[in-house]
Amino acid sequence: MIKNVLLVDDDHEMLIALKEGFQKYKDSFSILMAADGLKAVESLKKNTVSLVVTDLKMPGMDGFELLAHIMENYPDIPVIIITGYSTPEMEHLAREGGAVGYIAKPFLIENLARQIMTTLRKESEGGTLHNVSSGLFLQLVEMEQKTCTIRLEDKFSTKKGILFFQEGDLFDARVKDLQGENAAYEIFSWDQVNLSIQNGCALKERRIHSEMQHLILETARRKDEGVVEDIQPAVMEEVEPFEPEPVDITIAIKEKIEARLGPSCGLEDIYQDNAWDSRVLQFSRAGIFFNIGELEMGYIDRGEENDFIVLPRENTTVISVSPKCPRDKLLRVLNE
Amino acid sequence: MRELFKDILNMEGVKGLMMFSFAGDPVYKEFNQAQPDGIESRDWSLFIESLAGMRETDLVFKKGRLYIRRTDIGYLVVLMGLFVPIAMMRLQCDILLPSLKPAKAAKGIRRLFKK
Repeated sequence: MIKNVLLVDDDHEMLIALKEGFQKYKDSFSILMAADGLKAVESLKKNTVSLVVTDLKMPGMDGFELLAHIMENYPDIPVIIITGYSTPEMEHLAREGGAVGYIAKPFLIENLARQIMTTLRKESEGGTLHNVSSGLFLQLVEMEQKTCTIRLEDKFSTKKGILFFQEGDLFDARVKDLQGENAAYEIFSWDQVNLSIQNGCALKERRIHSEMQHLILETARRKDEGVVEDIQPAVMEEVEPFEPEPVDITIAIKEKIEARLGPSCGLEDIYQDNAWDSRVLQFSRAGIFFNIGELEMGYIDRGEENDFIVLPRENTTVISVSPKCPRDKLLRVLNE
Repeated sequence: MRELFKDILNMEGVKGLMMFSFAGDPVYKEFNQAQPDGIESRDWSLFIESLAGMRETDLVFKKGRLYIRRTDIGYLVVLMGLFVPIAMMRLQCDILLPSLKPAKAAKGIRRLFKK
C-alpha cells in the first residue's frame, strides 16, 4: 500500500523542493501538500495520512498547534518537525508534544526521507496481508486479543481505513473524516482488502462500544438495505495550496520565438515540467547569494541531442532546443 | 592558480570565479571586486547536486549571470555581468579545461625521487 505523507510549510519553494526530492521514493510514499496548519487539518479530514512533516512557524495555525490537533484527533499519525528557527527549548517542546522527529533547516532531503521511511516501516511491522476477507481476519484479531492498529485498503474502490484494537476489542475506526461505528460499517463492507498491521495502539479513548460480531452483522444488514454511508471515493487527492499555472503559456512563448527568429530557429518543444523545480530553486538561491537578483532563465547543455532553456515559474517551463540554435538571440528574445 | 584563470578574470564584465569540488566544497576563488561574504561557510552541496549531468550552464539573473562549466575536478562557476560575450567565455573555458585535470600520482620508481 502506498502511504500518504503530508508536508506542511508556508514556504512554497521548500514544498516544491521536498516534493521534487521525494520523487525517487514514489514507490514507497506519495506526497500531499498544505501551505499552513489549517489547510493541513482539511487535508487530514479528506485523506488517509500516514505521516505529517510540518514546519513550526506558519501563519494561521502554526506547527505546535497542528501537532496538538494531530495528537488529539489522530494520535496514530506520527509527526516530524522541520524548522529554520531551532533551539533546544523548541526541540524539547516538540518532543514533549508528541513529535517523533525533529530536524533543523537546512537539511539534506535524504536525511528526512530516511527518517520518513523508518517511521513508515513501523506501520507494517506486524506484517502485511493481501486479498483477505476483512470480516474473517478481524474476528481472528478479536480472538487473539491483540493490541494493534490495522490499516486496510479496499481492493475494489482503493478506499483506505484504519482500525484500532486494544486487547482484541475494537476501540475505534476511521475512514477519511468518518470515525467510530460509522467508519467501522464502511470498512466491514469491504469484501477483499490489503492490510498492514502495526503492533500497539496509540488510541486511548474508546469510540466504539458495540461487539464486533454485532457490527459485522449490522454492516451486512445495511448492505442488503443499501444504507451504507455514501462516502466519496478516497482518491489520492493532492491539496494544492497554490493556483496552477495557465497551460497556454507554452503556446505564447512558442509564438513569440517563432515570430522573432522564424520557424527554423532550432526550437524543438516547449512544456511545463515540475521535475526541474528543485534545480531551478537551487539556481535562484545562488543568485540571491551573489546578490544578482531573480533568476530569469537558464541555458543548460547536458551533452544530449537537445539543450534546454528553463524559465522559472510555478511549474518550470522547459524549452528544448537544438544545440545549433542561435542561443544568445534566443535568450535575448525570451528576456524581452 | 590566478595565472591559470587570468584570461577569464581579465575579460570585461567578469566579476570573479570559483571552483567547487563535486562534493560542493569551494576549492578556489578569485574576485575582481569585493567577494560575497560566507562563500566558505555556505552549504553548496545542493547547488552542486543540482548541476549533476550538466556540461555547461548559463544562468541569467536580473542583475548578472552565472556561467558554469563542468571540469574533470569539479565545477567552474564564473560570476559576471549581463553583457559578457558568452561565445568568448565558452572559448576561454575550452582552452582552460585541459589544464583542470586531477593530479596523477607518480608511478613506479619515480615516485621515490623528488623532482
